Amino acid sequence: MSGLQGLMEGRVVLVTGAGAGVGRGVAAAFASAGAIVGIGVRRPEAAEETAAAVAATGGTPVILRCDVTDAEQSAASIQQLVADYGRLDAVVHNAVSGRSSEATDFENTTLEEWEDHSSVTVRATWRLAVQAYPHLQKTQGAYLLMSSPAGIEGSERAPFYSAVKAAQRGFVRALAREWGPDHIRVNSVAPLAISPALENMKILEPERVKRIEGLVPLGRLGDPESDIGPPSVFLCSDEARYVTGQTLVVSGGRFTSL
Amino acid sequence: MATPSRTLVISTGSGIGASVAARLHARGDAVIETDSALDLSDAGAVADSLRSLVGSGTVDRVVLAAIDPSAFRAAPITLLTEDQWDQAAEYSMRAAFIVLQQVHAVIADGGRVVLILPTVAATGVADLVPLCTAVEAIRVMAKAVARRWGSRSITVNTIEVELAAFMLGDNDSTDAVMPVVPVLGQPALPSGSAVDDVLGLVDMLATPAAGAITGALLVADRGTVMQP
Repeated sequence: MSGLQGLMEGRVVLVTGAGAGVGRGVAAAFASAGAIVGIGVRRPEAAEETAAAVAATGGTPVILRCDVTDAEQSAASIQQLVADYGRLDAVVHNAVSGRSSEATDFENTTLEEWEDHSSVTVRATWRLAVQAYPHLQKTQGAYLLMSSPAGIEGSERAPFYSAVKAAQRGFVRALAREWGPDHIRVNSVAPLAISPALENMKILEPERVKRIEGLVPLGRLGDPESDIGPPSVFLCSDEARYVTGQTLVVSGGRFTSL
Repeated sequence: MATPSRTLVISTGSGIGASVAARLHARGDAVIETDSALDLSDAGAVADSLRSLVGSGTVDRVVLAAIDPSAFRAAPITLLTEDQWDQAAEYSMRAAFIVLQQVHAVIADGGRVVLILPTVAATGVADLVPLCTAVEAIRVMAKAVARRWGSRSITVNTIEVELAAFMLGDNDSTDAVMPVVPVLGQPALPSGSAVDDVLGLVDMLATPAAGAITGALLVADRGTVMQP
């Protein structure tokens, strides 16, 4: 990860949903880039591996209880980072519903399941933005949403996940225009990466994972830290100072027409 | 599907949805419309309404144009209360889910679903973040549904029109407060009736020739926003 060295030196970043998967990888990548990383998780006891990954890069892990569906917790997480480190340079909203890897029976399910997805991915996207705004305004920082290719092409199996991830793309485009005058940049990444659900699938259904990998021109699923982390860091760094309102698809070439 | 027998129009009772319904009525199509007072996010109410309107049969095509009017009020997101955000952004998403879910029970195999949305999400518009958020969510929800319902030969497509056309339809009264939507240029084509433009596409999508088009986005804005 030497290519990231210094890109975020002295910067303070909050990553939500950082306890595992892409969130953990992205958190470690920001640490590699020199950032102080707020590891936002629902259960702090589940953040130890991420903290270790951050520490392994020489970074400073800051574990924060941050259930993004709880307005007080997300506000307190931001406040703590600002109080302890004096600034907030970026928020990476990666948290998703715990049901995001489940299939949705669209024709028979209830609003409760929709709200489960929406509260984490839509409501919290707005709320985190509002809570972070005064701090990002001061640092001319960045807001990065971890979206999904499903939010572009629509998934038969995951219609709710698709819709809420698409919502984030509409949000990014509009907010990039709204916050442009403040020099706050707003972007998203649509990753195809190893997730905890895919790790399980590798054990239970290895042939299915092979089929998925076979659809990726680069022949493998992305690694959260080494494949998804660097583009995420880039988008929050000064190197991307002229990039806003964009969704970067990081999928090994799996999705080329989005 | 060459001669659709019944069209169900679901709208908020104004704007492009109401205008499309009126045009269909005027030319003699069999059209049924939901009550403009219906809470489209209430699954039970929507199910009762559709069953009452449709009876024991089915409909051949559905036109859905329903964005909550609160989404058209321009405001920075930092000035919105949680309730205002919910109404302006999330209500319309919930409604789209509930309506599409209930449509599934009343649409015939081989039926055609057309959603009408404003073009705003393609470019993003400052101070209309809730609207852009809702529109993009609904557009991709439609794509996911298109994939799900393809096995019944039901197509689900989206037509996008300029925001003013979406909000006003045929109603050219000037008392509506219109949000400012900056665009890079004028429409490439001469001006015309957006309702006619939409009706043409709705009819086209009902033809057998369009049976292979699903999950698509058709932008009927006379060449104002040409997506990359």
